[in-house]
Amino acid sequence: MEGPGELWRRFLFLFGRSRFNREMEEELRFHLESRAERNRAEGMIGDEADCAARRRFGNAPLLEEKSREAWGWSGLDHLTQDVKFAIRSLRKNPFFVVVVILTLAFGIGVNTAIFSAVNALLLNPYPFPQPDRIVSVEARHTSGTNINTGYRDYLDWQQQNAVFETMAITPESRGYTLTGAGEPQRMTGGLTTAGFLRVLGVNPVLGRFFTGDEDKPGAAPVAVLTYATWRQRFGGDPAVLGRTMTLNARTFTVIGVLPRGFAFPGIETCDFFSALGESASMGRTQHQYGVVARLRAGVSVEQAQSDMSTIARRLEQQYPATNTGWGVKVQPIGAALAEETGTLVGVLFAAVGFVLLLACVNVSGLLLARASGRTKEIAIRSSLGAGRGRIVRQMLTETVLLSLSGGAVGILLAVWLMKVLRAAAPEELALDATLHLNPAVLAFTVAVSLLTGIVSGLAPAWSASGAEPNSVLKEDGNAWSRTRSRNRMMSWLVAGEVALSVILMAGAGLLMKSFALALDVDTGLRVEHVLTFALNLPGAKYSSEARVSAFYGDLLERLKSSAGVEAVAGVMNLPMTAGITGGSFQVEGRPKAPDWVDTLVEYNATTPGYFSAMGIPILRGRDFNAQDNGASLPVAIVNETLARQYFPNEDPIGHRYRDDYSGKWRTIVGVTASVQHEQPTKPPMPGVYAPHAQWPSNSMWVTVRGRGDAAQLTETARRAVRELDGDLPLLKIRTMREVVADSLTESRLMASLLSGFAVFALLLAAIGIYGIVDYSVRQRRREMGIRMALGATYGDVVALVVRKGALPAVAGVAVGVPLALAGAGVIRAMLYGTSPRDLTVFMGVPALLLLVAVGASYLPARRAAKVDSMAALRCE
Amino acid sequence: MLILRSLDRLGPMHGYGIALHIQEMSDSVLQVEEGSLYPALQRMLIKGWVKAEWGQTENNRRARYYKLTPAGLKQLTEEVSEFTRVMEAITRVIEPALP
Repeated sequence: MEGPGELWRRFLFLFGRSRFNREMEEELRFHLESRAERNRAEGMIGDEADCAARRRFGNAPLLEEKSREAWGWSGLDHLTQDVKFAIRSLRKNPFFVVVVILTLAFGIGVNTAIFSAVNALLLNPYPFPQPDRIVSVEARHTSGTNINTGYRDYLDWQQQNAVFETMAITPESRGYTLTGAGEPQRMTGGLTTAGFLRVLGVNPVLGRFFTGDEDKPGAAPVAVLTYATWRQRFGGDPAVLGRTMTLNARTFTVIGVLPRGFAFPGIETCDFFSALGESASMGRTQHQYGVVARLRAGVSVEQAQSDMSTIARRLEQQYPATNTGWGVKVQPIGAALAEETGTLVGVLFAAVGFVLLLACVNVSGLLLARASGRTKEIAIRSSLGAGRGRIVRQMLTETVLLSLSGGAVGILLAVWLMKVLRAAAPEELALDATLHLNPAVLAFTVAVSLLTGIVSGLAPAWSASGAEPNSVLKEDGNAWSRTRSRNRMMSWLVAGEVALSVILMAGAGLLMKSFALALDVDTGLRVEHVLTFALNLPGAKYSSEARVSAFYGDLLERLKSSAGVEAVAGVMNLPMTAGITGGSFQVEGRPKAPDWVDTLVEYNATTPGYFSAMGIPILRGRDFNAQDNGASLPVAIVNETLARQYFPNEDPIGHRYRDDYSGKWRTIVGVTASVQHEQPTKPPMPGVYAPHAQWPSNSMWVTVRGRGDAAQLTETARRAVRELDGDLPLLKIRTMREVVADSLTESRLMASLLSGFAVFALLLAAIGIYGIVDYSVRQRRREMGIRMALGATYGDVVALVVRKGALPAVAGVAVGVPLALAGAGVIRAMLYGTSPRDLTVFMGVPALLLLVAVGASYLPARRAAKVDSMAALRCE
Repeated sequence: MLILRSLDRLGPMHGYGIALHIQEMSDSVLQVEEGSLYPALQRMLIKGWVKAEWGQTENNRRARYYKLTPAGLKQLTEEVSEFTRVMEAITRVIEPALP
């Protein structure tokens, strides 16, 4: 019906409206006057004639309006009218407005923030050309183990596949020390392969990326700078190509600069990129590398998967010892990331969804209470000819106006929350680059705001508009049936609010309890008064194992003799830092396991004294000592987990196993208690320790146990290092307690976010119940007066009112607890030491909520009971 | 339909005239709110079934006169035939069956 002509006519009508109104009015007046004249002619007198004419005519203003509607933009007309009216009516009640806007702002704000995270992580992770052609290629073992890929396997994949345009290893961060430019500085290099940029479809803004030839052992080192490094270190000099940097005492030539904002998970800290080729771990068993690839045009993920599976099967036959059971999984890069973060984000989304729903319920309650004060206004409007639909629409305009304002305030909150998330989220999610306010997020906020307004406003508007105007106007706004139906709706709201709060708070309670337990867990380590830091000796300066050993030997001696130091030791992989070196464990004289993955254990290296410095008891045998050096018999200490698994009925001491890295047989000389290396919440893996002197590595963690506070120890450590090598920076200086806490970042983030939501939920429930009970008390003032006049005591009335709030709350608990139990199953994997049916949580949360419900009802109850019965009866 | 029929029979008329006419013709059986005529007239104006012009009444008052257009006439014919068809059908249904 709305053809272009129609629109044009409506458009013109915008300008001819005042004339139309004048003419219409004149026409109607003519009609009325003519009719009145006729009435007079028929014998009526004066006003009577006019009244009869008007009665006969019907509702003049309404008919006039309807005539106008036929012509013009009635929708638009009504909207501007409604908005103006809404603003006027809201302005009368600023307190109500502020409460509603803040409530909605919180609900919408947290949803916006979490949505933006989801958007950044899952929906739109990469700003690269044809992102659907970028896939992750992962080695997957039949046991379900998903480890990265070995370098040699990667080379075979690259040579044999026919489905990828390019394949590359994702950058592996490595620390470098920049010298020759003033103070020695720390830089991070991302080691990758030549195809990396081509996989992503990105070109350097200056120069080029390195080639396959530069990725081979023996090639001259080259560096491609990030945009930020180029600006900060080279002042954005366009002639930077060809300049050199001395990194780890080797000379790197700058050959290119990456575009601004270039981001990929895991490279946030990289200052430059360089070729991996020379330093790659060559074994097939060292699964260290992430692989990405770009599909050839027209090749689907499924085709790629089948081609890669064929290659993997061929490799299994070719290298049965290392590749048995290893397949390949090809999937879009977004899906690969989602797999890791899916549950986390899903739980957060559900939680903020509940928060928003709760906010809606609360606002509904407030609106309902407010609508009761407007019964008369609405009755008058409807008797003037406003239809029910029109009134509902007008009231919805008010709520939507409120919710949009809430959305606007919510965006401010969301921006702040995003900042928090960026800071708190694990580095590998790369949220820094992607988590920002953008059009998609804004669109989401507007949509959610509109929806919120409608959802929270519909029920109150419908119930308020349904009143029969006659009864309202006559009976002084206290028609019983209406009040009762509204009261029933309010009880539903209270119950809903309590149920939602139970779910949220139970979830938060479980996570908080887990987190507290995880912090308190006995890690098997001494965490008090222990300072840790990392050192990374540049390979060019410390080129031989002897020099590395000598440096660390000197350093530990120096520290040991410093004032305030009780014990000092070095370790290759510090517990709770997620740094793990894997290797196989093949016991001499036993049949070789068919699959090396089944013998995967944790490899580590320590200096003598490490176990006592960290408080790890040696259960049997001995610690390493100064005699265990490169020239002596290769020895090892195993942990208890390994001893139980591999030597259930015998003493491991004296047995030998083959070391993957040196290829030598190591003799077991001791057994220690097990410690977790990843997180306090993960069970310890079987592990072996070699003496650092027999397996020296350039980078090492130093642990210093002292008597004084950590800051003082830091100064001691700095001085000792400086005296030995002025060019060597101390890295990641933290107390052991901080190291443990940092390993729990993710649980901490979840626990703190959810408990924030839970506190808000509790607050909302309290406000909501208070508001609703208070409202119903005010409605029933006369009833209370009568009751008291008839002899009800103060206690009777209080009990009556409190029951009003408490009974729906009990119903809410009854509904909420089973739902919360079901929900807890979903977060089972995030819990530690806490059952998803934890009794404390599932008793405590309902008890707390009931207490809040009773408390929130008690205040209005007391007010009701203090009503002077005579005054209440008189004034109504 | 009633409005169009009135205009067809009596030529151009103002709203009040149409109301009077309908009332008279139906012997006051059809008692509608007279005002509801006007939104209906406006809709017909938009559809082009009637035309409006300001003119003078017998008592020298200004009033808006409505006139049937050819399109309105066509609409009337269609509506009347449709109405007759339905009426006949109803009549057939409610007439007692012949013995």
